[in-house]
Amino acid sequence: MTKDRAASLLFLCAGIYGFYFSVQLPMGRWNEPGPGVFPFALSLLLLVSGAAWFIRGKRRVKEEGEGENADRYAFIKNLATPLKIVGLTALLILAFNSVGYLAAASLYIFVLLFWVSRYRVVVSILLALSIGIGSWYFFEKVLAVQLPRGVLFL
Amino acid sequence: MDVINNLYIGFQTALTFQNLYLCFIGCLWGTMVGILPGIGPVAGITLLIPATFGLSATSALIMLAGIYYGAMYGGSTTSILMNVPGESASVVTCIDGYQMTLKGRGGAALFISAWGSWVGGTVSVIGLMLLTPVLADLAVKLGPAEMFAILLLCFILLASLGSGSFFDTIPVILIGLLVCLVGIDSQSGVQRFTHGITDLYDGIGFLPVGMGALGIAEVLRSTEESLVRTVSKVRLRELLPTRQELRSSLGPIIRGSGLGFVIGLLPGSAHILSSFLSYALEKKIARNPEEFGTGRIEGVAGPETANNAASGSALIPLLALGIPTGNAPAVMMIALLIHGVRPGPLLISESPEIFWGLVASMYIGNLVLIILNLPLVGLFVKLLRIPFRILFPIIILVCLVGTYSIKGSTFELGVLLFFGLLGYVLRKLKYDVPPLILALIVGRTMELSFRQSLMRSGGSFSIFWESPVAMGLILVSFFLISWNIYRALRPQKASWEKALEEG
Repeated sequence: MTKDRAASLLFLCAGIYGFYFSVQLPMGRWNEPGPGVFPFALSLLLLVSGAAWFIRGKRRVKEEGEGENADRYAFIKNLATPLKIVGLTALLILAFNSVGYLAAASLYIFVLLFWVSRYRVVVSILLALSIGIGSWYFFEKVLAVQLPRGVLFL
Repeated sequence: MDVINNLYIGFQTALTFQNLYLCFIGCLWGTMVGILPGIGPVAGITLLIPATFGLSATSALIMLAGIYYGAMYGGSTTSILMNVPGESASVVTCIDGYQMTLKGRGGAALFISAWGSWVGGTVSVIGLMLLTPVLADLAVKLGPAEMFAILLLCFILLASLGSGSFFDTIPVILIGLLVCLVGIDSQSGVQRFTHGITDLYDGIGFLPVGMGALGIAEVLRSTEESLVRTVSKVRLRELLPTRQELRSSLGPIIRGSGLGFVIGLLPGSAHILSSFLSYALEKKIARNPEEFGTGRIEGVAGPETANNAASGSALIPLLALGIPTGNAPAVMMIALLIHGVRPGPLLISESPEIFWGLVASMYIGNLVLIILNLPLVGLFVKLLRIPFRILFPIIILVCLVGTYSIKGSTFELGVLLFFGLLGYVLRKLKYDVPPLILALIVGRTMELSFRQSLMRSGGSFSIFWESPVAMGLILVSFFLISWNIYRALRPQKASWEKALEEG
């Protein structure tokens, strides 16, 4: 799939979503436009953009041929690290309230440093504890941010 | 006289111990984020937003503005010494700046860059001080039709002048506008796109979207790159430029100040565009243009002055009209909204201490920056030795806690991550992300203006061409759309268009 077509799918999905839910909203009249008018118009424009990009993407595949394959390989290869980070951050968010900031953040930093940054275990543990405790002190004590304490009351 | 009196009040506000300290911290942090590749001014500002929660809106704005123009100063250091732009506006400085370093004149390039940045920054503050109140007075007289036309033109300009192509940017703006409509409609009370989720009733927060799409996305993109670098050492005595270098840089600094100030008023990547245009201008009028790229001081002085002048004037539309024209002003607007202050035509009359305090602090900040940037350059360069693989988990953690601290909701953290991923994907697909944030911020005003216009005219679209201002702005918008369609269909592009795209 080319970049244009990937983008077109994103725009089409957003357009379909907006269109489907905006038609369910009151449209009002021209002298008193309802809450559905603006999102309806935006969704239509998004659908048109998405369709145009899909066609452009198809044309580019024909024009550029194999050159696109190397690009695509590099594109996917580069995704590995960011996806690891996103996945770990999602887990941190899920555990944020129940585990508590100090434990969850320290564990999160440890896994990032060990798995993504490729530090040794001991270095990762030391850095994770320093960053975890340091950031907790800075946010909770210096900036007075109310952080979750979780089941461990940390 | 009014200006002098107001400026006096501004200096009284800015010269309090707390505000001076915050201005210094902002400039210092801004220089640091400008130097560190991977953290631009936007991420730098967003990271410090949580730290401003206990401050007044004036103090918060003084500190955040310090980060903004501090990053512009700092961005040139890595461009000159390492051929790595600290932030996007300094890309063009790499060309001649790094060549000067290779010739042993890196110190002089840094001096001229800091000097030009000071002149450009000061010129833009003078313009900001004189132009913003006039523009705000005019804006108060505008009705909803004119407001709609201004915002329409703003988006069209954003798409035309941004770093992406016009037709690539328009869908991103549309997504931003659609996202801003989530929540309860203020006019009818109807819920839109909330799906019964109570966290969405107030709409999607600007901060998680801004921090996600700009901050987290930038970090994710930076983790793709190798961060092994070599840094050149600079000694203090090498900082002094020769008389010839000083004389050669005078013209580019004057031209860069004017050009940067005007370009900064336009929506889009104004500071980037201004530095490229300044470089192109200097090359065009040079006696020996072929020497550009081999270490000419004009290639450093002009662009660095222009991007600093542009960053100052970019605050004019934000403060006078409430329209952020770039990503850093957008994040500053988010910070002000969190503090309960809405930038716009009424800001100067309702909260003069905020505006004049900011203006005065910018004069002080520019002085602080020139003092910070010259003698301490060696110290700042040492920052580059902090490995990014340690820095990025800390940046993500700060973004998460910053978002959590507003509402104490993990839902907002989900929004942050979602928009971080969306911003990253859009960047990977070579789309411009800042227009999404700008659309999100001003989208509701645009919708409200559109609906109020139609209500006022009894449903007639003639309201948009009965007012000469609205009609003029809409005509310009249509002209720009037609021009962009023509550009897209035309097989050959002009040389300057190619140069801009390559840049």
